[in-house]
Amino acid sequence: MPSSQTPPAGSTAVDPTAVRPPIDDARIIRTSPEQLRAELTALKDDGFAMLLDVAGVDYPERTPRFDVVYHLLRGLGTAQPERVRVLCGVDGAEPAVPSVSDLWPSANWAEREVFDLFGVHFAGHPDLRRIQLPDDWVGHPLRKDYPLRGPALERTPRPSFALKSNVAAGTPAFGKTAAALQRQIVAARNHAPDGAESKDGSK
Amino acid sequence: MALASPGEFLLARVDDVARWAQSSSVWPLTMGLACCAIEMMTATAPEYDIARFGSEVFRASPRQADLMIVSGRVAQKMAPIIKRLYDQMADPKWVISMGACASSGGVFDNYAVVQGVDTIIPVDVYIPGCPPTPDGLLYAVNLIQQQIRRGGRGGVLARA
Repeated sequence: MPSSQTPPAGSTAVDPTAVRPPIDDARIIRTSPEQLRAELTALKDDGFAMLLDVAGVDYPERTPRFDVVYHLLRGLGTAQPERVRVLCGVDGAEPAVPSVSDLWPSANWAEREVFDLFGVHFAGHPDLRRIQLPDDWVGHPLRKDYPLRGPALERTPRPSFALKSNVAAGTPAFGKTAAALQRQIVAARNHAPDGAESKDGSK
Repeated sequence: MALASPGEFLLARVDDVARWAQSSSVWPLTMGLACCAIEMMTATAPEYDIARFGSEVFRASPRQADLMIVSGRVAQKMAPIIKRLYDQMADPKWVISMGACASSGGVFDNYAVVQGVDTIIPVDVYIPGCPPTPDGLLYAVNLIQQQIRRGGRGGVLARA
């Protein structure tokens, strides 16, 4: 049986997985990209036939920065099912770990998701491309340094006709008043180019 | 209609009759994006019964639909598909932005969600709510009908 490893000595910030007591039914194994294949192969040979999920975690203050987390299960349907969680720390500008999609086919899409959202590359993956975001997306949104509103830094510019300031308050809906309102809105739209006043930040 | 004598007849402007007919069968596009779509389905069920207003026929093809109900948040990945569906609909066509997310992004003020569907297609009626009640959707359909009877063409802003 592989044993738990402590985080590397370079750790500075608090590592939540290091202080959290292990959950009763889940063994936690810490490994490195170099050891990962051997570790997981041994686990699979040990009966862990099911890979439940591959996840990613970003600890921006920590070295190594990323964790790739594998959840394994064996003994499903027996009296004592058993889980194991494998954490693989990985660092670098282009973090990379070996793919295990040949061991468990269910790793294929899960690894694509981690690649899509965290930018962790999986060496040997048969089809490593984005799975959730559009193909032309730039960046990896679940990294902590990704701006929440996206790399554009601003809100999407609103068309001028959607701005509250262009609509008179309390205007009745019908007849000549509505027609006048329509003309007013069209005139406002023609004078202010789209996106000129995009500070409609209040909701 | 059986007329009492051969001399009796009815007069109406063709426009008014055509608009009456058109406004009485506004067929929506079968398109649900999120939880608002559940309320949209409820509006078709017997308790609210959108069929009373002639809009019960949700068409699976945009070529046959008059009304697009944007019922939920529009993800960035979904936006080009929405735009394409709108472009595939034949004129005249109308759009209802159903709920907070479709109208403004709602609580999803983030990279993944379009901040208001009116940034990609013109919207005729906005429904507030999270989600709006089926009554709200029925009222929006009524407003669309009123626009049609007033001669609105859809695709331009006709705020009701």
